[in-house]
Amino acid sequence: MAVTKLFGAAVKRREDPRLITGRGNFTDHVRLPGTLVMAIKRSPHAHARIVRIDTSKARAMRGVVAVYTGQDLADKLAPVPCAWLIPDSDLKVPPYRAVAVDKVRYVGDAVAVVVAENRYIAQDAVDAIDVEYEPLPAVVDQEKALEPGAPQLYDEVPNNLAFHWKLHAGDFDAAWNAAEVRLSRRLVNHRLIPTAMEPRGALAAFNPGTGELTIWCTSQNPHVHRLLLSAVTGLPETQIRVIATDVGGGFGSKIPMYAGEMIAAAISKELGRPIKWIETRQENYVATIHGRDHIQYVDIAAKRDGTITAVRVRAYANMGAYLSTAAPGVPTWLFGLMLQGAYAIPVVHCDVYGVLTNTTPTDAYRGAGRPEATYLLERMIDILARELGMDPTEIRRKNFIPKDKFPYTTPTGLQYDSGDYEATLDRALELVDYRTLRQQQAELRQRGRYIGIGFSTYVEVCGLAPSQAAGAMGFQGGLWESATVRVHPTGKVTVFTGSNPHGQGEETTFAQLVADELGVPFEDVEIVHGDTEMVPFGMGTYGSRSTAVGGAALVHACRKVKEKAQRIAAHLLEVSPEDLAFENGRFFVKGAPDRGMTFQEVALQAYLAWKLPRDIEPGLEATHFFDPVNNTFPFGCHICVVEVDPETGKVDFLEYVAVDDVGNVINPMIVDGQVHGGIAQGLAQAVYEFAAYDQNGQLLTASLMDYAIPKASMLPAFTVDRTVTPTPVNPMGVKGAGETGTIASTPAVVNAVIDALAPFGIEHIDMPLTPERIWRAVRERSA
Amino acid sequence: MKISGSYTIKAARDAVFSRLTDPQAIANCLPGVENLNQVAPDQYEMAMTVAIGPVKGTFTGKVQLSDINPPESYRMAIEGQGKPGFARGNGSVVLRAIDDGTTEILYEGDVELGGPFAGVAQRMLGGVAKRMIEQFFSCIERQMGAGA
Repeated sequence: MAVTKLFGAAVKRREDPRLITGRGNFTDHVRLPGTLVMAIKRSPHAHARIVRIDTSKARAMRGVVAVYTGQDLADKLAPVPCAWLIPDSDLKVPPYRAVAVDKVRYVGDAVAVVVAENRYIAQDAVDAIDVEYEPLPAVVDQEKALEPGAPQLYDEVPNNLAFHWKLHAGDFDAAWNAAEVRLSRRLVNHRLIPTAMEPRGALAAFNPGTGELTIWCTSQNPHVHRLLLSAVTGLPETQIRVIATDVGGGFGSKIPMYAGEMIAAAISKELGRPIKWIETRQENYVATIHGRDHIQYVDIAAKRDGTITAVRVRAYANMGAYLSTAAPGVPTWLFGLMLQGAYAIPVVHCDVYGVLTNTTPTDAYRGAGRPEATYLLERMIDILARELGMDPTEIRRKNFIPKDKFPYTTPTGLQYDSGDYEATLDRALELVDYRTLRQQQAELRQRGRYIGIGFSTYVEVCGLAPSQAAGAMGFQGGLWESATVRVHPTGKVTVFTGSNPHGQGEETTFAQLVADELGVPFEDVEIVHGDTEMVPFGMGTYGSRSTAVGGAALVHACRKVKEKAQRIAAHLLEVSPEDLAFENGRFFVKGAPDRGMTFQEVALQAYLAWKLPRDIEPGLEATHFFDPVNNTFPFGCHICVVEVDPETGKVDFLEYVAVDDVGNVINPMIVDGQVHGGIAQGLAQAVYEFAAYDQNGQLLTASLMDYAIPKASMLPAFTVDRTVTPTPVNPMGVKGAGETGTIASTPAVVNAVIDALAPFGIEHIDMPLTPERIWRAVRERSA
Repeated sequence: MKISGSYTIKAARDAVFSRLTDPQAIANCLPGVENLNQVAPDQYEMAMTVAIGPVKGTFTGKVQLSDINPPESYRMAIEGQGKPGFARGNGSVVLRAIDDGTTEILYEGDVELGGPFAGVAQRMLGGVAKRMIEQFFSCIERQMGAGA
């Protein structure tokens, strides 16, 4: 690791002045002359046969250019692709038409598309399309969808079962039979809606003169979108340019290939004019993916001393009406592989049933699979602790993988890179003054006040990689990342990263890395991302992989550049490269520091090429494709302290402490920010957010009035601290910090509320822990 | 969503029943009705503007009366489609004579909303539906000249 001043410094985010003063370059900001506006007619029915579509009124409206039904587009677009084909699971991928043909399968399914001169006309024309439906019975609950006699979404998917995935390690029956304590519970990890600040959208501009399609869109992975757009439109990749400069949040929801972007591309190609489509907020709620929606049956086997000997899970994952791009991998691999958590549990059995229902498709949402595993385990360990009369910290210590066991191979074959789980627990206990807190809790209970302390000692897998593992898991892509470092003749540097940020601050952290590596001023480093015409093929940003994988690619590329610069400098200074030292941006002869050249001087010489040795090419740039040997495994301890009013069911947050270990930290301010945001999302799942469907498949929470995104006033102040256990997996020793907050916080909050309610004999309440649910639980117990 | 309630009118049961099943009275008294045309015996086409919270729109659809059992009871089914989605309702109305000049109307039914309407309006539906029904009955009562 380069020991210089910017690594570890709380440099202010250089992208913020642009973003917070309205000068960002989001998709809807791009204006092209001659643009037509597209709007989508969506099904109000969760399940219905399309009897007839009458578009005549819409077509006759002034300003309407074209109207398309599913039938009209069927031969112009391949189905929306699914790109995580999990093996050995009898996976069935039913066709997902961009615009429905014959049948709609969820509220929000596209049935027709209007192209018009402006947005007002387009929307009016959408309303003027008359669709006659024959409503069919709908099913929204994944367990009910599997029952005999349930409405069937597809002829080719019997019982709505898209897959049955298994991961079995060790002899569960033997462990279960030998167990001194056995616990079986049903837990629900409910449905959430990502709600990125910027809804999805696209501006597709096909140039009939060149045959090229340029598409601006909201993307976490522009190259993957280019590849998939090529597959669905039939245009070669060389003729497609995807641009996603600024992306206003994604949380996973901007990974998939969606119908809207595909339709815009196909229609632009057809009409030879730019087509803009921007989701409304209400459309975003039904037409952009949802997350979680996992029903889990858990069996835990343990000894009386608290040692957990086996965990078995049977889970039902609600996939929605179609399989979204990465959807099959989320509730399976990203869930099942983490079921042992931070604990030395020798036996793990997992069966996951992926079920199709008449709801919006689900896919990766911040944490993706890992929150479901962490919540399950952290909840069950608390239930077990209470059963055994143990303190929740004691039972965790009892089961922690000890720090001298790393690298640690889990029963299901992951290799945890590095860790010291007790250290984060100890630090968090110190920060909350645990002993005093427990005394206060006991005293307050005497006075009829109920405070609770909740723990989550999580470990997560992030920096998703390597490609070989991706292949074995059926992921239809690699998990490496690319970077090009181009040094200009003046010594200024442009970096092209394949990891396209959607708000995480890469323009700052990546520039910090480059400034350190090359010894150039931070201001001299420009970070370019999100344009497939400029950036080498990249896999994108998700799974907290941008820094651990994309940042590592960047450091490797910098080192290639520096090595070449050193050879040039050595030649010009007439010494051998190993005789040179490099400090503060200057090469100099060891022992004769006066004889040297700055990095900028070397860059100029590289471009002048007047005096280069014959075996060195002119110019100064390098590209690196980094495929790490392993994932990284951040961990930590979150403690939440709440007070619950049993009379009203209201939860007040008294304290929230997060001690995370994400390895080395490039920019602590940015990591703090990501941890804060992550906790807000995870805490919101615990007590506020809930995507509710009625039994007919109508989404009841399809607006910001009804879906409870937390406001600042609904959150406590967070105390954030860290321990540092570097990973050996990448040259910077960084792990990944984007999802720790979301993964850790949900169980910490629920455990705190349940701890507060212990005097009422309440052992569990399914999320979200709204005042009503808490009040009902207290009333039932008190009756 | 289930809706039920009762309303008492100071008028004789026979008179209340015939007024409640009179298309003209329905058209005049149901809030937001723009037109109502009979298309078959006991079946009507209707256009109606409804506002629930921030969502407002015109629905066109059908009203069907069935199981008409004068002067005691009938069933009513409504379905409509419009820009904000669709609505379907289905319910029964029972009239009970409290005395010669007083009738109690008992109603219960199930209302289903679909599309964007459901996504923002459902949680307000109960209150709005109740208000609309009361407006309807009180209008009928006024028209019968039986009110205060």
